[in-house]
Amino acid sequence: MEAEVIEAELVLPTYLSFKRVQMYEKYPKGQSRGRHWKHLKQILQAENYQNYPPDEPNYVNIESPPSMHPCKRLCDMTGYEAPYYDPRTNLRYSNAEVFKLVRSLPSEYVQRYLALRNAAVVLK
Amino acid sequence: MVCFCSQLNRPGQRHWSIIFSTASRERLKKKKMPFISKIKRQTDYNLFPSSTPIVIDNGASYFRIGWAGETEPRVIFRNIVQRPRHKTTGETVSIVGDHDPALLKYFDCTRSGPRSAFDNDVVYQFEIMEYILDFAFDRLGANGSGIDHPVLITECVCNPVHSRSKMAELLFETYGVPSVAFGVDTAFSYKYNQQHGICGQDGLAICPGFSTTHVIPFVGGEPVYRGSCRTNIGGYHVTDYLKQLLSLKYPHHMARLTWEKVEDLKMEHCYIAPDYFSEARLFQKGTKEAEDKTRCWQLPWVPPPTEEPPSEEEIARKAAIKERQGQRLREMAEAKRSSRINELENELHGLGFLLRQLEQVEANDIPSFLSATGYVSKQEIESSLAKVTQSLRKAKGEPKSEQAEVEEKTEASMNEKYPLIHIPDNMLTSEQVLNPKEPKLKKKKKKCIIIAIVIKLLLAMVSIQLKEKRRQIFLKTTTEGRQRAKQKRVEEGLERERKNQEDEERRLENPELYAEQMRAKYKELSERIDQRKRLKTNGSHTNGNNTSGGVGRGERLNAAQRERMRLLTTAAFDRGKGEDTFGAKDEDWQLYKLMSRDNDDDDEGAEADEAELARVSSRLQEIDPKFVPKQELVPPQSAAEAPRLRPLTKEDFQIVLGVERFRCPEILYHPNLVGIDQVGLDEMTGVSIRRLPSKDEDLEQRLTSSIFMTGGCCLFPGMSQRLEAGIRMIRPCGAPINVVRALDPVLDAWRGASLYAAKLQFTEQTFTRMDYYEKGEDWLRRYQLRYTL
Repeated sequence: MEAEVIEAELVLPTYLSFKRVQMYEKYPKGQSRGRHWKHLKQILQAENYQNYPPDEPNYVNIESPPSMHPCKRLCDMTGYEAPYYDPRTNLRYSNAEVFKLVRSLPSEYVQRYLALRNAAVVLK
Repeated sequence: MVCFCSQLNRPGQRHWSIIFSTASRERLKKKKMPFISKIKRQTDYNLFPSSTPIVIDNGASYFRIGWAGETEPRVIFRNIVQRPRHKTTGETVSIVGDHDPALLKYFDCTRSGPRSAFDNDVVYQFEIMEYILDFAFDRLGANGSGIDHPVLITECVCNPVHSRSKMAELLFETYGVPSVAFGVDTAFSYKYNQQHGICGQDGLAICPGFSTTHVIPFVGGEPVYRGSCRTNIGGYHVTDYLKQLLSLKYPHHMARLTWEKVEDLKMEHCYIAPDYFSEARLFQKGTKEAEDKTRCWQLPWVPPPTEEPPSEEEIARKAAIKERQGQRLREMAEAKRSSRINELENELHGLGFLLRQLEQVEANDIPSFLSATGYVSKQEIESSLAKVTQSLRKAKGEPKSEQAEVEEKTEASMNEKYPLIHIPDNMLTSEQVLNPKEPKLKKKKKKCIIIAIVIKLLLAMVSIQLKEKRRQIFLKTTTEGRQRAKQKRVEEGLERERKNQEDEERRLENPELYAEQMRAKYKELSERIDQRKRLKTNGSHTNGNNTSGGVGRGERLNAAQRERMRLLTTAAFDRGKGEDTFGAKDEDWQLYKLMSRDNDDDDEGAEADEAELARVSSRLQEIDPKFVPKQELVPPQSAAEAPRLRPLTKEDFQIVLGVERFRCPEILYHPNLVGIDQVGLDEMTGVSIRRLPSKDEDLEQRLTSSIFMTGGCCLFPGMSQRLEAGIRMIRPCGAPINVVRALDPVLDAWRGASLYAAKLQFTEQTFTRMDYYEKGEDWLRRYQLRYTL
């Protein structure tokens, strides 16, 4: 280990005196470590919130509802107001110059712009 | 426009310095960023008694840890872990928090991106959490055998019990903590500010955080979680949006747009517009205000060394070299030509000599004589002589009229060569067959008595004669055909000349009209060609969306291509019932000819059109000084490639933030812009008030008159005004609305928690290990902190 790295104390030491169980004991090398952690979706599923009265606030029922206001139509490329959209690519554009740009984009960029809006075609 | 450049001074501390501004020549002060990492190891751990709680603010962005009762946390760092491999030793190490990138060069960081323990705002990866806690306690100065202090740790609103229990387990089992308390960071911040008089006992706390935004109503000093509301949008999404937008706009500079850099950009330059569309309209029109608001980031760029225009001497020198080269080439060509002439002359002399010798020799001895020289007959020698003289003449460069004479001579000899053609079949004799080129040579033939043999021989010879005759006919027709073609060409040339002269006359008498006609014709021709070209290449400009190779929308429109489709389908699918009788008749295979793509466009027409177009455009160029031939339609290149064609300039290395400045924080108010289908900040207050269990007009008024903002994201300029305007829209007219901001939105949560933990009654709110194991999960689920002590 280089001198300056040691001096900066960049690396977490492997043995810490205040721990009862060290990391290397808990997660021995070679075993698949930590890949069995449940993601949020699985955690929420395991919670079984339906068994509890719906009045009680829990992680799921304090989530906000969808918006009541009409959604804002912004041009995907420039950010101005965009009343129009291109049926071929599904991108929104604000005027004719932007439309030229939109039509000249390669497919990859089109998908990336759509992905910003979460409107891209996702193939699974 | 304001320009600036970036500097990275120390780990965790980033300064921006504005170097010059074009609009106003002011030097602005250096701004310090709100997030600073403090990771110096503390030395006074042992000075604190066991009863002093340790206060941890476990946020998705930063982790803050310190002692209860103090105003500043001791250790602050980013809540991420990296596990790179050391390049030389190969061991995998853990690095917690963000560090000086210069030191990280010793590690191979390609496969180890920064990882967070959070999913949304819930801790789920406890291995990473353990690394983080290790580091935190280590830097706090912990030594000895265990953390012997009660711990107050923050969590998200309505934390799932799974996460809570795992966290408790981690603290109890691994660190030996005696007792633990969980609290919500927003509530701590609210309480802290309430004590300082910023907000009242009843109020609404709005916390736009790193990955989520919460709105929690406080009634009587306690949070009412039933009325709370959470949207899954936060500072992380704003930064991500900005990063994506800039990457799409400047694909060349994607390497420079790291997440940390974009976060700095966001913190420095983003603001919230009071009304999005009016602000966008300013930019769209390009007003001066918009110009002022645009910020431009100049990346380091070295201009390429400029080439000086070549000086006079240079040009002269180069011209002289070219001249010399030309001279050399000419000399070489001259030498070659003279040597060839010499050769030919020598050959000519030799052949002439041979012929003279031949005349002296007797007829019978000719073949034997000739075999020595390599020629078979006299005629051959004569023909080769003629050829040599011709090539000699060509080499000497004599005028073409001589060539015509020579051609005529050859024609005459040709007529001699085809004597047999004119003789009808039955008159051919063996003599003429065997010696077709020498009709005058006599052959001594003895009369044979054996008539049968003669007749047989004659019959055989007649067939040979027929063959010979056919060959001569063929030769003659081909040469005649060639002559006719030549004649036609000459005639066409004359015709064209005539037409040109007519044209000239027409032009001279009425130049304007002529030019008009020419231009009209040009336009029509070019349009026709373009259309044909377009049809050929599947319709409109390439959009990249026609993924399937041949069949796109452009293809289907053409009548011919529709026909082809029809043929394909009928040929393929028609034979359902009986056997497939496709190939039985010969005509069936004509189908392929019809379907063939090459036959589709009338190539003839295309070529004629193009030739015509070229002629017309050259004519126009001659007569009309203003005419510019229409360029070939270059296939439109992507916006990314176009700048590379010209030499790169300083502007190419500038990243301009115009609309993005206020477009990105807009997503906090309109999560729909990034596809998250939930309410934004202003509507969330309405939702929260609606969700309150008791419908009390008075209470609502009290709530809205004390709207409290905390959390990192509320540092955007313009946030308060926008929020107020938004809330005014949804509340009844005349309702009191008062939006206040926390004293320090970033650190107030920790401070509130610290103040809370310093109180004596804090110990009643904690639970011990025994409690945890005895009471079980159900109790843990219902465990809630009471904030008013």
